[in-house]
Amino acid sequence: MLKKPLAFIKKDFLIESSYKLSFLFNIAGVLVSVLTYFFIDKLFGQKIVGHLEEFGVNYFSYVLLSMAFFSYVGVGLGSFSSRIRSEQMQGTLETILLTPTRISTILFSMALWNLLFATLDIAIYISLGIFLFKINFSNINILSTLVILFLTIISFSGLGILSASFIMVFKRGNPVGWLINSLEGLIGGVYFPITIMPAWLQFAAKFLPITYAVRAIELAVYRGFGLGQLTKEIGFLLLFSFLLLPLSFTSFKFALKKARQQGSLAQY
Amino acid sequence: MKYILEINKLTKDFIPPLSFTKLIKLDFTHQRPIRALEEVSFSLKRGGTLGILGPNGAGKTTLLKIIATLILPDKGSVTVNGYRLGIDDDKIKSFIGMVSSQERSFYWRLTGRQNLEFFAAMYNLKNIKDKIKKLLNFFEIDYADRRFDSYSTGMKQKFALIRGLLNNPELLLLDEPTKSLDYAAALNLRKFIKENLIKKKEKTVIFTTHHIDEALDFCNLFMILHKGKIYGMGTLEELRQKINDSTAGLGEIFVKLTEGP
Repeated sequence: MLKKPLAFIKKDFLIESSYKLSFLFNIAGVLVSVLTYFFIDKLFGQKIVGHLEEFGVNYFSYVLLSMAFFSYVGVGLGSFSSRIRSEQMQGTLETILLTPTRISTILFSMALWNLLFATLDIAIYISLGIFLFKINFSNINILSTLVILFLTIISFSGLGILSASFIMVFKRGNPVGWLINSLEGLIGGVYFPITIMPAWLQFAAKFLPITYAVRAIELAVYRGFGLGQLTKEIGFLLLFSFLLLPLSFTSFKFALKKARQQGSLAQY
Repeated sequence: MKYILEINKLTKDFIPPLSFTKLIKLDFTHQRPIRALEEVSFSLKRGGTLGILGPNGAGKTTLLKIIATLILPDKGSVTVNGYRLGIDDDKIKSFIGMVSSQERSFYWRLTGRQNLEFFAAMYNLKNIKDKIKKLLNFFEIDYADRRFDSYSTGMKQKFALIRGLLNNPELLLLDEPTKSLDYAAALNLRKFIKENLIKKKEKTVIFTTHHIDEALDFCNLFMILHKGKIYGMGTLEELRQKINDSTAGLGEIFVKLTEGP
């Protein structure tokens, strides 16, 4: 049962590790972004202390965690479309679809390597936070954190598979990915708490799963909130998962059928 | 089951995408569909070697890709070993192997062996390493651990053949496998297919080409496909009878059948 997912992980590891410089630059990239927000905190951090009271941390601690967490959101959102696109470009998508492998297995397996890579990213962020910037993670509620991570990946996977459906048919141009990426960065609370924004933007943010995911993870990690204290956020993430996942699988099946009708599986 | 493949009234149209000039004129009417296959019907017995002959654009690749479940037909039915296309696609996929001349179907940063191991896992095969070792020996390949982008075109084509045989398919679809090879490499590959795949392994093979000598080399059945239609199918003798010329070569048969009266 695990043979196919493991084969994908091995294949992706071998390909990624053949680009040695890229791996090093990923670590360097994390360090640079962390330092950037460290200095932004030094400059403006005091101005938004009031907005961060409920999380009990300063701006740098808030943004370090949300960025680390954002790696996982990226897996859910971006990995499906980027992997499909990559297989299209390499010309291997058609060959994979020639094998008796279920679509759900292909999609799940394609995202696995990115998930592992995102785990590495999160470990780098957290290690930098603990050892270099002395951020206190001792209040963390591990169960809540894991539940939120899981639900975030599931709900964002729905959006990610929806994006992949567009890539399957149109090859380039991904309105779902573009819309969500732009909106989540702006109003989802990743780079600043949403209470900073005007009321109408805060209202719009309620329709994005990222808003609930970021708030829940900050409260679970820094305030040690248990599952009972995060029922609203968990409820919304569950709702997004239940709505988006079946919708996304249906849309991907439709997109695959469309590509087979067009005879465009091998095109990029 | 008598027939390994049964195709009935298969029709496929491709709708060209809207051109940019039409798009900026807000003209959303599609161009006329391009008919790739029209009412194609034929059956193939187990163990046969069918050569599909036709010029570029005749519909050869579309036909093979439909059999391989990669393209959906508009009309008609395809049955592979009793399994219906569109219903039992995974069973059909387990039963067939497809080899094209497309080099871009491997991971170029992996070695040949790593590529084969990945695709073997996609077929859920057991004893993958042993199977690959046997196939590599069979194909006399000693350099399976080199990166794929370092192989010659002929070598890449051999790997494509090995991949097509990983699941030990009963029906092998070869889509112009010698297309990008030089004369000597093409000759060697043809000899290999003929002696090893057809004679030793007794595979049912469908082979597309626009080179008549290639088809004559190892096919016992021929299909003349032109502009998406079958103009004739049978042994060389049967095709000769069809044009009432007992000495005609396959080239003459092709011209007479496609030009009409």
